[in-house]
Amino acid sequence: MKIAMQDTAKSRRSRSTEALILFCIGTQTFAIAADAVQEIRSTDSLATAAVEMELAEVPKVRHLVERSHRTYYVVSGCVHFGLRVTRPTLVLILRQIRTAVLVDSIERMVDVPKVHALPQAFQGEERQWYRGLTYLEDRVIPVIQPNGFLTPEEFARLDRASKSIEARHELEGAVPA
Amino acid sequence: MSGAQNHARKSWVLLHVGNRRFALPAESVMELAPPVRLHNFPHTSRLIAGVIVRRGRIVPVYDVAPVLCGRESSVHRFYLIADRAFGTDAGPDATEASAIPVNGECELATGEMQPPQENAPPYFAGTLAIEAENIDVLDLQKLVSAVRDNPSATNHAEPRP
Repeated sequence: MKIAMQDTAKSRRSRSTEALILFCIGTQTFAIAADAVQEIRSTDSLATAAVEMELAEVPKVRHLVERSHRTYYVVSGCVHFGLRVTRPTLVLILRQIRTAVLVDSIERMVDVPKVHALPQAFQGEERQWYRGLTYLEDRVIPVIQPNGFLTPEEFARLDRASKSIEARHELEGAVPA
Repeated sequence: MSGAQNHARKSWVLLHVGNRRFALPAESVMELAPPVRLHNFPHTSRLIAGVIVRRGRIVPVYDVAPVLCGRESSVHRFYLIADRAFGTDAGPDATEASAIPVNGECELATGEMQPPQENAPPYFAGTLAIEAENIDVLDLQKLVSAVRDNPSATNHAEPRP
């Protein structure tokens, strides 16, 4: 499955609203700006392209995928948010950030008039996870901060691990069978 | 009556948390909200039970019962919404509406705040002698900071979905 994000959709929307994609991880609904998502793929369609990696310091990443000559690190949404582990069926491949996120399902797209700032009372990791909250049909839904899935330090560690995987594969490929 | 005495003798909102009464300065209290839906999402902030929506605003809810009474309470269905200051000891930078689950029995009282009892936790700003009862006055800012700086004060260490 592939859902391409239509740029034309953006122009149709009023400037006073923002398009969000609602998605679920377990029983929890999250929102992410539609503009922040490059594409949505099924995990099955990416399975053959995914390379396994295991890094004790970044346990939420267990795979990487190459897309358009870029390496994307696949983050488990469950592990990232500390939720009960599920079997994700979709991958959100983010735009401009080398991160893909495993999620369970897409609920729908919505236009919201306002994203509320995260209250100052929240002082934990959620300040990196969320850029705010939206109130929609009697639900408060956290709005994801796309660059909050991996820190620059985590990217650096993953890049080092990725290079060593690549080097190992090249070496294995060079060894005659 | 001097200016200082006038300041000390002021209005307080008395609230029930668990089976104890506490006081908050009346000027910091915005409203007693009826039972409304408590919304939750993953976070790691201690003491926060979720958020409620009141008058178009998203208000964090502090579950203070485990800290003040040592256990959760199921009778807290109303929310007392008060201003909580943020900033340093030098002075608050900003305030934010914050909610405390209460049982709905709140009353207004006038009294003079006395210094806190010896060995009282830092989040008790003082005491009020009302109806032969010594009621601790809460300092919401210090209560929350105490839990943040001393995680053993509560059990909420895991992300709360």
